[in-house]
Amino acid sequence: MNNTTFIGLDIATRGLYAAQRGLTNVNHNIDNINTPGYSRQVLQQQAARPMMAADGSGMLGMGTDVTGIMRVRDEYLDTKYRSEVQYLGEWDVKHTLLEEMQTMYNEPSKSGFNTVLNQFYDTLQQLATDPSSHSTRAAVKEKAIAVTKYFNSVATHFEYLQNDVNNIIYAKVNEINSLADQIAKLNQQIYNYEVTGNVANDLRDQRGYLVDKLSQLVNVQAYETVTGKLPNGHDDIRFSVVISGKALVDHIHVTHIVTQQRAEKKNAEDIENLYELSWEDGNQITIRSGELKGYLDVRDGNDGLNGSPDFRGIPYYQRRMNEFVRVLARTFNEGVIDIDGDGVLDKVNGHVDGYTLNSQAGDPAAGIRFFTMFDEYGNPMSSTAFASGAGTPPSPLIPGTDEFKAYYDAMYSQITAKNFSISSEIDENPSNNIATSDSPAQVGNIENLRSIMAMRHNAYMFMEGSPEDYIKTIISTMGVDGQQAKAHLDNQSIMTRQINNRRQSISGVSIDEEMGNLVRYQHAYNAAAKMIQTYAELLDILVNRLGI
Amino acid sequence: MRITNNMLINNMLANLNTNLTRMNKYQNQLATGKKITLPSDDPIVASRALKLRTDVAEIDQYLRNVDDATSWMEITESTLAQIGDVMQRLREITVQGSTGTTTPDDLDKIKKEAEQLKIQMTHLANTTYAGRYIFSGYKTDKPLMDESGTFLIDIANSEQIMYEIGIGDDININVTGSDLFNSGTDAAAGSTSSLIGVIDALIAALGSGDHNAVGNMLSQIDVEMNNILRVRSGVGARMNRLELTANRLEEDYINFTKLMSKNEDVDIAEAIMYLQNEEYVYRASLSAGARVIQPSLIDFLR
Repeated sequence: MNNTTFIGLDIATRGLYAAQRGLTNVNHNIDNINTPGYSRQVLQQQAARPMMAADGSGMLGMGTDVTGIMRVRDEYLDTKYRSEVQYLGEWDVKHTLLEEMQTMYNEPSKSGFNTVLNQFYDTLQQLATDPSSHSTRAAVKEKAIAVTKYFNSVATHFEYLQNDVNNIIYAKVNEINSLADQIAKLNQQIYNYEVTGNVANDLRDQRGYLVDKLSQLVNVQAYETVTGKLPNGHDDIRFSVVISGKALVDHIHVTHIVTQQRAEKKNAEDIENLYELSWEDGNQITIRSGELKGYLDVRDGNDGLNGSPDFRGIPYYQRRMNEFVRVLARTFNEGVIDIDGDGVLDKVNGHVDGYTLNSQAGDPAAGIRFFTMFDEYGNPMSSTAFASGAGTPPSPLIPGTDEFKAYYDAMYSQITAKNFSISSEIDENPSNNIATSDSPAQVGNIENLRSIMAMRHNAYMFMEGSPEDYIKTIISTMGVDGQQAKAHLDNQSIMTRQINNRRQSISGVSIDEEMGNLVRYQHAYNAAAKMIQTYAELLDILVNRLGI
Repeated sequence: MRITNNMLINNMLANLNTNLTRMNKYQNQLATGKKITLPSDDPIVASRALKLRTDVAEIDQYLRNVDDATSWMEITESTLAQIGDVMQRLREITVQGSTGTTTPDDLDKIKKEAEQLKIQMTHLANTTYAGRYIFSGYKTDKPLMDESGTFLIDIANSEQIMYEIGIGDDININVTGSDLFNSGTDAAAGSTSSLIGVIDALIAALGSGDHNAVGNMLSQIDVEMNNILRVRSGVGARMNRLELTANRLEEDYINFTKLMSKNEDVDIAEAIMYLQNEEYVYRASLSAGARVIQPSLIDFLR
């Protein structure tokens, strides 16, 4: 082929096409400026294969070719984003739930634990100044109920929360499975499309976006591997998503995560039927981060006790509250307390050793326990019914011995924050049954009450000190954990925002840039059209004017 | 670095959100008057707040205990003063009765007065405070003695009613009938009070008309009077201690309330300044945002 007549038109047409493709691309980019996960696409253009001139005068340029449309994306940033966003998810969940847990304690406030306990001890003090007053005795009962109700209510709220979190875990697992299914489907489509050597830009963006979402839920690693060569010579590329070493999505196959209700509680404080996660094939699953980890830690975290997550979650605070009410009840009722801090339980006068208001000379000690628990019907239990739960006491019952401790541990481990209550005796007849006296028939005697009240300030009542110290420790532990979660969350959101910005910087659509391209391609189109017009004029001269 | 429109929008939104979070914080502080709403806002403030609340509540209760104790002891003290007056009168009439010039008729009158004084004394022994017998030890529901001066209850000096007026700080608020009316020795129900016994002896002496026998009673009356004085000075000393404690507790109350407020209450002026500042920042970032986002090349392509 030499300088044929119509070659110019051919070249000009290619220019028109290229400019048109460019305009389409600008259009596509602008349309998707707000599509999540979208990366901008650029036209790859190169000069068309030149033609050798027959007379040896050199190469003849043949216009332009569009060789492809590539998306602009940095895979490194994807990996980076995914490794950070999983901690964002985890701490976001923990931060939110810890705030919720803090509001349950309602501290510091005028209606929190501190207030109810202070008011209870205040009425006891008032009783000490007027032990025969029926109205003060009734007030002591009411304030004691306020204390027990406070714990009942907080424990119940914690149980509700655990139940809610359990349901969220179920939902999150479903979300993960559904994302995995979608990714597998996309894998199939991308594979089919790319088998011929194309690049499925938009499908890849969609898949990347799904993996981003998945990363926030659970720790995943996503990568493409070349598994061999296809018959047509292209690489056989497959995409996998892996959780802690095991593939959730392997090319087009998905191994789902399944939830199964636990037959046995993991923590003694748990509610029934929590979901246990495992792989579909029965293998154990390890969750290292992501929202799912956040929820699991809050639901199961018992400060590492008995293999629970090393996080102070719902069971931990339930356990601490149970411990509190048990020790409080034991000390108050029995006067069984490590009074001198030597590590063994001693015995001083407690409520059981006191005498009631109407006791007669010669009566034995009333043996009434102030605090017991609700029975199965939700009624306050009597002192004897409660004590019988611990079996027969060892005889003789010597303070300081292991049997002594075991007996009282057995008795008071029946109490939990949720079933904590005053005893039926106190409930039915506080006027008589609050045992202030240490001798019978002495209405003005407050020695027993004083012995009980003195324990309030005993620094060995709990490992952390007095009752207020104990609760203060719980509240500040929660506060510090909440603060830490907030700090982690802030850090992670700054990190992910930073990475996202870098991703946006590289892959995001810039309207200015697209407008620039629009002008560029429009002018190119106009110019190519002008070329066609020029050739048309040339042909007009050639065909119509050089006529015979 | 390549800057895209979405980056601008994202950053603007993130920054506006940060501004709003800070504004929200100061608005919350101003609305509640407290520095923190959750322990995690500042765990140290939170745990100090808990401690201080307990302290303030306790001091408040101790103050009430001190008030109660003071009332009880004021009653006790005024009763003791009256008992002292009765003894003084007894002593005076004894002196009168011991003079040889007193006629038997007068002696009879004196005897009658002594009998009245004895009854008054037994009534004083059964003085009550808010329905409770103050000299009956732990048996505050039972009177101490009948009009003949016989104890109706067992009474021991050890029956001391203690009020808590500070952590580990107790004060004994009562005077036991045995201490006051039985020369400081425990008494059983049915026995006669030593003080009343002296009055009985005096009445008997007056009845016998023997001036010397009446005169001899003086030393025994003095012994009882000294005993009453001893008890009174003890009560006085304890009242004194109560007063000191009350002063200290009141100061503590003010100090701890101040501390509590300093710990958890917001400095309103400071918070308003911060809020204003945040408002300016917020407005500035809004207007900056409006400028940055609006124009693009589109606006200039015609």
